[in-house]
Order: sequence, then structure tokens, then C-alpha cells
Amino acid sequence: MMLHVQNRELVIPGQLLAEGSYLLYGGVFKEGKCVYSSVVGLAEVRGQDIRVIPLQGCYIPKRGDFVIGVVVDTHSSGWILDLNSPYAGNLFVSGLLDRKVDLDREDISQYLKVGDAVAAEVVDVDERMRVMLEASGPGMGKVTGGKLVEIAPTKIPRVIGKKGSMSTMIQSTSGCRLRAGQNGRIMIWGDDTRMVRAVVEALLTIEREAHTSGLTDRVHQFLERIKSGGE
Amino acid sequence: MEKPEKLMVDGKRLDGRGPEELRPLKIQAGVLKRADGSAYIEMGNNKVLAAVYGPRELHPRHLQQPDTAVLRCKYNMAPFSVDDRKRPGPDRRSVEISKVIREAFEPVVFTKLYPRSGIDVFMEVLQADAGTRTAAINAAAVALADAGIPMRDLVSAVSVGKVEGTIVLDLIKEEDQYGTTDMPVAMLPRKKVITLLQMDGHLTQDEFERALALAMRGCEQIYEAQKAALKAKYATKPEEE
Repeated sequence: MMLHVQNRELVIPGQLLAEGSYLLYGGVFKEGKCVYSSVVGLAEVRGQDIRVIPLQGCYIPKRGDFVIGVVVDTHSSGWILDLNSPYAGNLFVSGLLDRKVDLDREDISQYLKVGDAVAAEVVDVDERMRVMLEASGPGMGKVTGGKLVEIAPTKIPRVIGKKGSMSTMIQSTSGCRLRAGQNGRIMIWGDDTRMVRAVVEALLTIEREAHTSGLTDRVHQFLERIKSGGE
Repeated sequence: MEKPEKLMVDGKRLDGRGPEELRPLKIQAGVLKRADGSAYIEMGNNKVLAAVYGPRELHPRHLQQPDTAVLRCKYNMAPFSVDDRKRPGPDRRSVEISKVIREAFEPVVFTKLYPRSGIDVFMEVLQADAGTRTAAINAAAVALADAGIPMRDLVSAVSVGKVEGTIVLDLIKEEDQYGTTDMPVAMLPRKKVITLLQMDGHLTQDEFERALALAMRGCEQIYEAQKAALKAKYATKPEEE
């Protein structure tokens, strides 16, 4: 086992990362005994595990992801949602209401319209990348009120932070509620419009400076400054 | 353009380079805001802009492949890129170049990861001085990496040729037009696999082998510049106040 990069080193496609029996996660591929990066990103090595955290790229739906979709079309038994991804999501009435629906008796257009934002979970993605969504359960379904912000999907883990540290900090400092979908869409709810705007600004800062250190502290200071009446 | 009397004088070329020297090279990644990935390259007087969009939903729908992404490349020359105004729009030459560039990238991009989607690569030649297809490939490789598209390797390309009996690297317009041979080569720098090779003119077997070896050395230099361009974009920026 030989390692050719340091942890969190910037790597480019085709760069040799390691040789030997590593467990491969995203952003890497193997040829013979050699492990290479397939994207521009930060190499991360933890014992046997090796992966590259991409710095760019679109959202690809994965089972279990929480996403925020926007309804783009309706059909007789459900809706098609834009997921800020090459692949659209399918949501059926039963997946939204969590009960059996008699389509002859009930008009489903009363539940969602084109343009509505929906908080949903990806329950299945098949090999043809057809995406099944479910939006029952608490906190799921049609999103009302609040502000929708779109950032690069690769930066979402930074918005959430280690064990949710960043999003917890933003919520407690600003008094706004935050919900980050893996597809790069974030909902913000808050009574104070000034603070909501500050959170939007903070999120855009995170997107720009996701790869710098000490970001949580800087965002905290920024929000505290706005909160105490600063610009 | 008139034919110069001699293309090589005392082992120096028209622009003062030695036979095995590249033209000045400048690559910049991420120059376009609205593209998913982009790059700008200057190889001597060649100026090419490349933009990558995708993977995204592919339209028209009938082009979608159920098991892979479809790579679409478009090479285009601006009307003002050459001495005599070029009639705008696709022509025989640019359609062919688009095709060979697509085939140069197909073995590199992990298209199987994104079924039913499309990846679009646009290469716009703003100023041409021989070897625009190689410049376009170099820019497109950086733009694809900048878009976060998984790839086995980058692709580096350069042209070699024969001018008045000498094997030379990275031809300029005069050498391309009045020289004996022009041979663009694209390869994967890591494994030294050739993904594009065309030849206009002729070479003996021995000359061909020397030319190919020279092209590989040229590609390595270009690869270093591509790497540097990508790392420059993503290097940790100094902390802001």
C-alpha cells in the first residue's frame, strides 16, 4: 500500500492517488492496483477508505437524499419535479399523502400546482436514473412561505457542516429555520426579513469560500454583526 | 499571405523558435460564469474559448441513450478568426473536426455514470494560426475537468510536421501552408495513449516515429500547463477580511 497524495490535497483527473487495496468511494477509479482521481477535488484518505471530494459538478440523485424539488408538470396520478439535476423526480399522490387515493373521485390538482416547491426524499433511483420521490412524513411535502436559495450542490455538505455544526450555528445565531436539500436548494424561514437576507448572504459566502478554513467562525461573526444592527 | 522565401534559417523558424519548441502557452480555467465549466487558451496566436454544459437532460429526446451520456462537441471558427472572413456556420471542415474531437474525448469521459443525459462541449476559435484543433482539445479538456465531469485523464494535443526537411513541433500558419507535412496528435498524458492522429502530407516511417516522439514530448509540456491552470483556479484563496 503506497499513498501518493496528502490528505485534503487538491487533485485533478487522472492523478495517481495510491497503490494497493483501498476501498473506493466517489471521485476515484482503479486501474490494476493503482487508484486515480476522476475529478478535480480534494483527496480524502481515512485508513482503507479513499475518495475525492469534488469541487464542481451537478447533483445526481441518490437513494435516501433529502431534496427540494419544483413541480414542472402534472399527470393523472402525480407530478414531475425538477431537482436541479439532469434527472427529473417522480412524485405520486400516494407518496405525497401517504394513503390510498381513488383517482376517479379525488381531483389531485388541489394538492400541488406547477411551480410549487416540495420537500421530498429520494426513495429509489433505478439503473436508468428514474427517480422516485416520497413527500409524506413530518416536514415534508409542499413548502409554504420562506425563501428558496440555490447554490452549487457540491457545497451543500459545507452548509450543513460536520454533524450539522454550520447549519445549527446559522439557525441559533439568526433565529431563522434552515432546510438544506442535497440538490443545492436551501429553504429559509424567518420572521425578521433582515436576518433572512443576512442568512442568504451567509450561504452565498459559504458557497464562494467553501474550501477555506475557519469559515464557521467568520460566518458566525458576520451574522452576529448583522444581528446587532450592523451592515 | 505570401510564401516566405525560407521557412527555416540557421535552424531557427520564422518566429525565432527552434524546431522542438512550443509557442508561448497560456491557459485559464473557469472564465465563463454561466457555463458549468470553461477554459481559455492561447497557443501562440491561436485563441480558443471552450465551454462545457452538463451532464444535463438531453434534447432532442431521441438522441438519449438509456445506458450512457451522450457527448456532443462543436468546433466553430469565428468569421474574424482568419485573414479572409470565414463564412459563418458549420462547414465540411468544422463538422469533421467536431467529430474527431468528440472521438478523442469519448474514451476519457466516464459517460456510463450519467445515463440518458448529455454533455455539451463548445469550442470557439477566436483567432487562428494553425493547430486550432489541438488548441481546442487542450481547452476542452480543462473545461471538462472544470465542469466536474469524471474523466480517466486529461487530453493534451499538439501538432508536429515537416518543414524544409526538418521535423518541427507546433506549426504556425506559414509552416502549415507551405511546409511538407502537418500532423496533429492528441493523447492521454498519463498512459501515452493516442486518441487523435491525423496527417496532411507524408512522412517516411523513420520521420513519423521521430515526429510522434516529439509530439509526445510537446504534449507533456502542455499537460503541465493544463494541470497548473486547474490548480490555479482552485488553489485556496487568501482569506478575505
